[in-house]
Order: sequence, then C-alpha cells, then structure tokens
Amino acid sequence: MSGMATEGSSAANQRVVENLASRLRRRQVVGSRETALETVLVLRQVVSKARFSNIDQLVEVIRSVGRKLVEAQPKEHTVGNTVRKVLHHIREEYHTATQGTTAAASTSRSTLSIAKFVLQGQPRKQNAPPKASDETRGTLKENDPDDPDAFARTLKPVLMEAIQDVLDELETVYDNISKNAKDHIHSDEIILTIGKSSTVEAFLKSAAPYRKYTVIVADTAPSYSGHDMAQSLSSAGISTVLVPDSAIYALMSRVNKVILGAHAILANGGMFAITGSLLAATAARAHSTPVVVCSGQFKLTPQWNLYHEYGALDFADPSSVLGFEEGNLVDKVDVVNPYYDYVRPELVDAFITNDGDHPPSSVYRLIKEAYDDEDYEL
Amino acid sequence: MAPKSSSSAKEKLIGEEEEVLQAVILADSFNKRFKPLTTHKPRCLLPICNAPLLDWTFESLALAGVQEIFVICRSHADLVKAAIKNSKWSKPNAGLKIVPIVTAKETFSPGDAMRDIYTHGIITSDFVLVTGDLVSNVRIDEVVRQHKERRKTNKDAIMTMVVKESGAMHRTRSRGDSAVFVLDAETSECLHYEAVTGYPPKKYASIPREILAEHPEVEIRNDLIDCSIDVCSVEVPSLFQDNFDYGDLRRDFVHGILTSDLLMKNIYCYIAKEGYAARVKDTRSYDSVSKDILSRWTFPLVPDDNHPGGHSYEHLRGNKYIAKDNSVVLSRTCKIGNNTLIGSKSQIADNAQISASVLGQRCIIGAGSIIRNSYLFEGVVIGANCVIEHSIIGADVQIREGGRVAKGCLIADGVSLGPQARLSPFERLSKRRQEESDGDDEDENDEGGADGEDAEADDGEDGDDEDEGEEEDEDSELEEVEANQDPEALAKLGEGTNAIIWPPPTVDDDEEVDELENPDNQRLMRIGDEALDLVLSDPGSVTSSESESESDSDEYDELYGVSNASSSATSLPLSVPTNLVAQADSAAITEFQNEVTQSLERAFAEDHSVDNAAVELKTLRMASNVPLRRVREAVVAAIVNRIKIVEGGNVPQRKEIATVIDRWGGLIDKIGGVDAVETVEVLQAHCASSDRLPLFGQILAALYQDDIVEEDDIRSWHAMPSSQGEDVKSTSLRDNFKKCWNFDEQESDDESSEEEETKVTAKVEVEEESEEESDSDDSEAEAKEPPAATAAAAAPTGAGPPPSTSGGSKGKAESEGSDEDEEDEDEDEDESEEANEAPAATTSIAKDQGLLPPNTTEGKSKHESEESEDDDEDEDEDDDEEGEEDEEEEDSDEQVGDHKRSNDSGKP
Repeated sequence: MSGMATEGSSAANQRVVENLASRLRRRQVVGSRETALETVLVLRQVVSKARFSNIDQLVEVIRSVGRKLVEAQPKEHTVGNTVRKVLHHIREEYHTATQGTTAAASTSRSTLSIAKFVLQGQPRKQNAPPKASDETRGTLKENDPDDPDAFARTLKPVLMEAIQDVLDELETVYDNISKNAKDHIHSDEIILTIGKSSTVEAFLKSAAPYRKYTVIVADTAPSYSGHDMAQSLSSAGISTVLVPDSAIYALMSRVNKVILGAHAILANGGMFAITGSLLAATAARAHSTPVVVCSGQFKLTPQWNLYHEYGALDFADPSSVLGFEEGNLVDKVDVVNPYYDYVRPELVDAFITNDGDHPPSSVYRLIKEAYDDEDYEL
Repeated sequence: MAPKSSSSAKEKLIGEEEEVLQAVILADSFNKRFKPLTTHKPRCLLPICNAPLLDWTFESLALAGVQEIFVICRSHADLVKAAIKNSKWSKPNAGLKIVPIVTAKETFSPGDAMRDIYTHGIITSDFVLVTGDLVSNVRIDEVVRQHKERRKTNKDAIMTMVVKESGAMHRTRSRGDSAVFVLDAETSECLHYEAVTGYPPKKYASIPREILAEHPEVEIRNDLIDCSIDVCSVEVPSLFQDNFDYGDLRRDFVHGILTSDLLMKNIYCYIAKEGYAARVKDTRSYDSVSKDILSRWTFPLVPDDNHPGGHSYEHLRGNKYIAKDNSVVLSRTCKIGNNTLIGSKSQIADNAQISASVLGQRCIIGAGSIIRNSYLFEGVVIGANCVIEHSIIGADVQIREGGRVAKGCLIADGVSLGPQARLSPFERLSKRRQEESDGDDEDENDEGGADGEDAEADDGEDGDDEDEGEEEDEDSELEEVEANQDPEALAKLGEGTNAIIWPPPTVDDDEEVDELENPDNQRLMRIGDEALDLVLSDPGSVTSSESESESDSDEYDELYGVSNASSSATSLPLSVPTNLVAQADSAAITEFQNEVTQSLERAFAEDHSVDNAAVELKTLRMASNVPLRRVREAVVAAIVNRIKIVEGGNVPQRKEIATVIDRWGGLIDKIGGVDAVETVEVLQAHCASSDRLPLFGQILAALYQDDIVEEDDIRSWHAMPSSQGEDVKSTSLRDNFKKCWNFDEQESDDESSEEEETKVTAKVEVEEESEEESDSDDSEAEAKEPPAATAAAAAPTGAGPPPSTSGGSKGKAESEGSDEDEEDEDEDEDESEEANEAPAATTSIAKDQGLLPPNTTEGKSKHESEESEDDDEDEDEDDDEEGEEDEEEEDSDEQVGDHKRSNDSGKP
C-alpha cells in the first residue's frame, strides 16, 4: 500500500522518523510532554508529505511510524498515546467528511446493547452532530484510479487541522490544568510534593496569587530534582520547605494534601511517577491525606498491566547512587536505580487533568473516549 | 501553510547548528592480547554483550552527534568492511557517513595509522579520535565544544583527552597499563604524562621541575581511566608525520609533545564527571566492561534499551536480560544468577546454573552445567555437567559432557573438545587447520568439520592481496603452534578434539618487547587472573618519595633503575633517594656532557669557526634541555683539556695556553649568555679536579687578555665564599679550590710582584705534588706530570705577560711585533691560518678594551644549589659523592692523557 508513496517524500519522512527514533532510543529526548510534542511534529510532517488514496493507507502510514517510535523507546508512553490520539482525530475527521457514505456503518454500530457496551464505548463519536460538509462530501473520492491523489488533496487540510488540535492541546495543557488550581488549594494549607513536575509547578504557581499556602518539597533522591522545584516555587513567592525524603512520613500528619506529577497514567488508574512518589502516596494513605495527581490527558495510556514488568520502572545507571570513583565497591555491590515508581490506583484520590477532575476508577473511560480500540496495539 | 514552514525552519536551524563532526576510529588493536580469538576476526568485531565492539563504538559516537566516521582498518580489513556495509549504520537514514580506510600491511602502530590519515588528507577540522573497542556514553560533543572554545584563545591546544575518574581498585581501570597524569588543577591542562606498567611495579614518576615551578597548583593523578577518546585538532596527524618515531598515542605522542620544548603544544584533559567510557583493550577489560554494561553503567546503552546490535532484551530483577522474542528455552529447574545476559534461541537444560555471564544467540547449555563469569559467543554448545569459569569461548565451540574449563581460558571459534576434557587455567585453544585436522583426526565429528569448512569459505571470500599476506602470516604462526604440540596436553582435551594448544606467552629474544607487552604485565590484563603472586606496588601511590623508604631504594635501583629513569643512559648511583628528579637530570646531563665533548672534539679536529661551534652547542642545549651553566662547564672543560701541558718551562706553556684561548676562548661567551664570574667559577671547579690545576692562573690570565673575563669579574668571583671551596666536601678537592683561590689572588691583585708570586706558586706546586701522590689513583703517565708542570710554573709565572720571554722550544716565535700584526689582521679572515700561526704570536696581545660585552650575572650558581642539597646529606652519602667525583676525575684525566698523546705525536 505504501508502495504508492513516491520515493522522495517517503525518504524524507523516513529520515525524520529515524531521527526522532534514534534520539528517543538514546534518551536525547526525555520527558512525557517533550516526547509527545516531538511525536506530533513528526506526524504532522509525515502526514503532510504522505501520499495516499484512501483512509486505510493513511492509517497504515501513521501506525507504522508510531510502531517505529514506540519500539525505539517503549518507556516513553506518551509517544504511543500521541500516535493513537492523532489516529483517533483523523478517523473522526474522516467520518465527518464522509458522513453520507459511511452512514450505514455508523447506524449499524449505534444500536446500543448491554452486551456490546464495552465495544461501543465511544459516546462522543455517536453523539457527534452530523456536520453538513457538503462540499467535501461531494469531492471526496477514495481510490480514484484517474487521480490517486485526489483523496489526499481534499482531506489533507482537515487532517492538518486535526493534528493541530492535538498540538494545541499539548501546548495549552499546563494552563488548562492549572486554571482550577485555586479551587483545589485552600488558604493556609500545607501541601507536599515530590520531584520537579512541570505540571505540578504550574499548578502550584497559578494558585499562588489567590491563596496563601505552604509547600513542602521532598529532596527526591537520587536525582534531587526537588531542589530545583523548591527553588522555582520559592522564587514565585510561595513559602517553600525542602525536606529530605526520609522526613516525608514524619511530616505527613501535618500535610493537608499531597500533589504529585505523573509520567504515565495506566488504564487501571495506577500511574508511573518519579521515584519516591510511592513513598509519599503510601505515607499519605497511612495518614488518610488526600493524594491528587496533576497530569495532562496525553499521559493516559491504554496499557494497564505494565507494572508486572520489572523493567518498566526504567532503571537508570547506578552512578547517581554509587559513584563510579568508588572503585572497589562497584565490583561488589549491585546497585539498582529505578527512575519511576508504580503507584497503585488505591493510593490516588483524584486526577486533575486538562479536561476535568477524575477518580482513578474512571480513567478507563477517559481512555476509551480518547483513543480508538483498534489502536491499542499499534 | 504556517505550521509546515515553521517545522522546516526548525530543521534547517538544527542543520546549521552542527557543522560536520568527524571521527576517526582506529579499528586495529595493534597487539595480540585476544589471540587466538582474533585469529580469524579482528578484535573490533568480537561481540561484547552480543553486539560487535565496533557497533558499540559507532553508537558511542552517534550519541555524540558525530556525522562522518573514518574507520582505519588493517588486519581482516575485508571483514570489517563487510561488517560496516551490513550493519544498520550504512542504511541511508542512520545519519552517519562511515568510510572504511584500509591501511597498508606495514602499519604496525597507531602512530603509523595516524601518518596514514595524514597522507589521505581526510581530516578537515577538529576530529574525534577513538579506538574500535570503545564503549562510552560520554557526551563527546561537550568535549568537542570545550576543545573548540579553548582553541579560540590558544592555538597550541591541540588535543583534549577524555579521562574518567575511578577508584584505584576499580575493575575497569587497567592495572597493567595505566598512567600518571599531572594536571593543572585549574585549567586541567595535562602537564606531564607518564605511562605506568603494573609489573614490574613502577614506584615513581619523574616530573620535570619546571612544571612545579610554573604552576602554583598541580594534580598528580593515577586514578584516571584513560578512555582513549581524544578530540584532536587538524595538526595532530601532521605532528605524527613530522615525528616518524611516534608509535603509541600516549606513551610516545602525548609524552613526546609534553616533554618537547620545541613544539610548544598543549594537551588538555577532560575529566568526565558524568557518563561512562572504557576501552576493551584486553581480556580483563572485556570482562569488566561486560559487567559494567550489564550493571547499567553505560545507560542508556544497555541491552534492554539501546542495544547497538538491535536486539531487544527484557530486563529482569537482578540485572538479568533475556531475549524478548520468547525464543529462549529455560528449564524449570535451571538457575539464572544476577548480571546475566542470554541471547535469543538459547536453551538451558535442567539444573544448569548460569551467573554473571553472557550467552550469545543459539547457545545450548547441557543439564547440570555450571557457567560462571564467562562469555559465550553465539552457537556455543555445552554438554552436560560441564564447569566453565572466567573464560571467553568463541562462536560454535563445542564442549562435551563433563568438560572442565578453568579460569582464564580463551577458546577460539569452532573448537570442539572431547568428553571429559580438562583445561588448565589460562589455556588458549584454537582449531586445527582444516587440512591437518582431516588427516590427523579421522574421528572428528561432522559438525566440527562443517564449521571448519564454513570458516575456510569465509577466508576464501576475502581475495585481497593484502589479506592473503595476512593469512600467510597467521598461517605461519598457526603452523608454528601446531608443530609444537605436546601430545600429553592434547590428550587432556578429550577424545576427538580438533583443538591445538597455544603456548603460554613468553618473551621472544628476537623481538623487542616493551614493558607493556611483558608477559608478567600482560597477566594483569588477563581475564580471571588475580596475579596474586606478582609483587605489585600499591596502585594508589603515585610518587616514590612517599612510598619508598631509603633502605630499599638501593636494592630497587639495582633491579629497576634502568627501566625507570627517564633516560636509559644513566649509570649514576642514586645518592639522595628523595631527589629523584635530580637523578634523572644528572643522567641527562652526563649524556649531554658526552655530546658536547664529542661535538667540541670534532670542532677542534676539523677546525670549525667559533660561530659554527656555538650554533652546534646551542642546538645541543635545546635538545637536552640543560641549564646554561652545564654548557659552560662542558665548554670550559673541553677548552682547558685542549691545552697541552708543555714541558720545559713556563713560557712555552703560556704560549700554548694563549694559543688555545685565543682560538677558542670566544666560544665561552657565545653559548647563549655571558657570565664571566661563572666562567671563572667553572674554570676553577674544572681545574681543581683535573691535572690542569697549575695552569689555572695562566688560563685565567689568558682569558683576561682576551677580554673574556675582566678584573671586576675576577674580584667578584674572589669574593664569593664558594670560590674557596667551602662547600666542597672532599678535602683534596677543597684544597685544590683553595689553591686556585690563593693563587689567583696573587695574580689578579698584584700582577707585577713576580718574585712573591713565584714563591707562592712554587709552594703551591709542591703541595700539589704531594697531594696527587697521596691521591694516587692517577695513571702512570699522569703521575709523572706534576714535576714537569711544577717546573713550568716555577719559572717566571704569573698572569702578567712577560713580553719577550718567548722562544723556548719553538723556533718559530721570532718577530713578535709582525706576528702580532699579522694575527690581528688574520683573525677575522682566515681562521685556519690563524690556528697555524697562533703559536708564534701568543705571548703579548694588545688589549682592546671596550669590546667586552656587558657582564650579565644570570643563573644561580652551581655552588649555591649544591649547598642546599648538601645540607640534607648524611656522612655516608658524602663518601658516595666523593667516590663519584673521583670517578669523574679519572675520566677527565684519561681524556687529557689521550689529548696529550695525540698532541705530542703531532708536534714538529
């Protein structure tokens, strides 16, 4: 199918994809938002240059790109999520554009039944108002033998818009999450956080003008990203206390709320977050302190059983735990330095996302809305 | 469309930011540490953690944003080329341009390879130089950035070496081949480099004194791993071209650049705080680098993340990595220990135990076998109940049931061992070549035979001329090994083996084996060798001054003196154990003195002009890097020795002196600085220790006549305490010093009072005579001399020029005035003529004041420096020194004797 794509454009696309793949593999692009942004940019370029004459070809092109990127770095879950999201948007646009021709299919799917509830869990698609896009419907022709590019030509502007939507969502994610910050943070509260999550940072800072509260930041060994966090918060005028990780439990009785960032949110409501998050969440549970996670919806990941894999925690090099110059010890000690903790859904009270606040138990539904079922496996 | 244009603009920006960064990989190891594993395969294609070393190197460079790579390959060049062609790196999207370059067979060292790079002219800008066995995740681009930054201000900063801090006992730090780095603490400029071998243990490093003088703060470090990543500027290959004897990158090039005062180039170090970098330079580091990879020090270059071979592994608790494609068959009862990697399609049978090992693809491990700390390449088949420890086992090796492979064994590709084989530690096996194995071992199993054919076919493919030569080399080596097989030892390898045993490494007398390749030192680089029986220095100690006690220093010098001193020419006994720098210096100085003597002898014999001789001396001084005073000493000594001791009175003697001084005296001031006081001092010191003592006064007078020294200089010399020999320990020498001092006092202060002088001189001479008899180590000829000299001196002596007393034995000196005039005229024009004429015109020379160059008092006096050293000395060491000086005296006396004889024969 992709053989129809001309050499020039496909070579350029491949180069872009390989470039990102190798940067992902070499960890030159890290961080969930960063990787998501890069992925969207690559996909935009791929779609803009790709040649296709029906929707399946387009989907296949995007999926193959997605597969490559995900294989390159399976631990950056947002790469796959972004690809799924783009696919979802593209299909939506396609269905809108070809309302008439696929009407039969969509009506057959819309017969609701309890038995098929899980399969049909896409309320938005069904409720989408039939946009009367007469001009596109008239010209949209799949597999036109005379002009194979006709389909692509007519659909591309819409597709680019769809991808732009994904990009916009990523770019505005911090603002959207933190716009309700002052409803979550009350005056004179003591809030504990760990690590340096940009989302949490923006969230806390946006509440600062309205509320007077104290943030306790844990060190977050061995990356000590808590130091940067404390620096940043206190320069924004928030009263900040930096404590060692070991003090988290001792201080928990005074803490009103624990706010965490996430690396990825799994379908079961659990999440991967920076090392130490599990410690904080467990301590919070012991003191019945609410645990709130701030995260964009692009971190929602259809997988749910990743925590069975030992390697999923992304073990980094031991040098930040045991210095290479320790010489003699290096041979005698096995050091493990996981970068992430898996926090079980029971330990989380709420996710604050750019699209409303949700309990862990409804994450699966968000995922169903956000992605198409057939894309769970890219 | 707006978004599109912005994205393309961004791409462009990325393109512009990085100019093409070049890298050169030396893909040849230039040594044989991995033999016999490397018989049919270059080292850079040996797998480590199931990916060829070369791929790890490529990945390390790609990580740093290198875009163009030149791979310099020598042995098995075709295999390397094929490997590059088939690897993922040559795909168009890899973003790397890899150019293999095959060098001539005659490339025997990295230096040769660098010269080859120069000839190819491929380097256009600063480049990264690495070896083909590098595993690294260091941000080399950061090093390059720093290097370029530095180059903007200092054009002489030609190289930046990447080093990694490690503890002294770190497994990855080579014990056999490390180095002492002397670094400027602030700029991390490498000031001095000295290679350190593990055995014989190196106990001290000599650091040039200037370094300590010029830099307020230096770091002397022996805890650095040399990663062999060098960021070089363009002129580095040309420096190799200019210095054709540079072989090794470190021991020759870096050491050479840093010790040369002519090149004036700087080399810097980059101490990598983050990241990991190490070379697989021997089997031991193969072991440690494998372990570092498995324990994730190389992250993100780890098997489960960015495996250079493109395999994917699942990371399990305890750093176990199992191939992800579900093709590995693990028995329910097998035990997989920590730090283990198992390649795809491997099968591990019941009750087998594997720990801290790497298994390649398609390995089969029999029931109950135990594999510890070993590295199995692909396709290895291990039978039941085998034990393999601390060994490297090549591809498709078969070990049958009950085999025992002790620590440190290397088994080359395709070997098959019979049942119950017993390998002793550190045994090296390779496969018998096909022809012979067919003939000898009829019962060789089929599979082994098939493997062998494969190997042969592989060899056949590389039809290059060079490669055939290579093969011949290899074959002859193999043949030799095959010819010397011990049947008993072979019997231990079990029934039906196709293996041959390589002899343990020995020192070959014909071949020049440097310290590094010394078998004992190599033991420190062997896998599994603890080398506990070797006496090793504490690897943490850097300078001998702390680690070495006085008592063992003598013994130590006897054993290792030659190998440790910076110059092998030294024979001086070490008197002060703390002052090792001085020892190296004195060795260099002795060598220098010899050179000067020879050079001057030639000048005398061939009658060079003073200027030419001076130029030669200056060059010598530059080359040996000695202080000016040494040159002066040598020149004065040579000139004084040049003066013949003329029998038959004072007058001819004086004439002889004047001849020589007139001819060569000017040289003293042309060696690079004028310091008349020092000249006198040096003259005194020389005369005091030679049989020219009686001539001191006369020589001084002649120098005075020639305006080489002036009265003020003599006075200031006279005023110095050292001139009286105060700090000279040897009594006879001190007396001689005093004699000179007294003697000259008369001369300089009271030139006219001849009578008194005569008395004094006579007295002096008598003393001298008795003294020399008491010393009595002079040869017969010399023992005869003092009376003659006495006679000469007893005649109207003094420096005062007696106008008309010439004549004597030489009939040539008649009309003084005319001769004098003639000489004045000839002096500039015809020097050879002058030399002939000179004897006639010696006695009185019109003084020409005002031509004397201004006096400079430069340099600290020798006596002062000696004084400070002497303060530390003990009594017994004094004896040593005296003995040493006596020796020197003897030497110079002998020389004098030679001179004299030759002069005598030349007389009319």
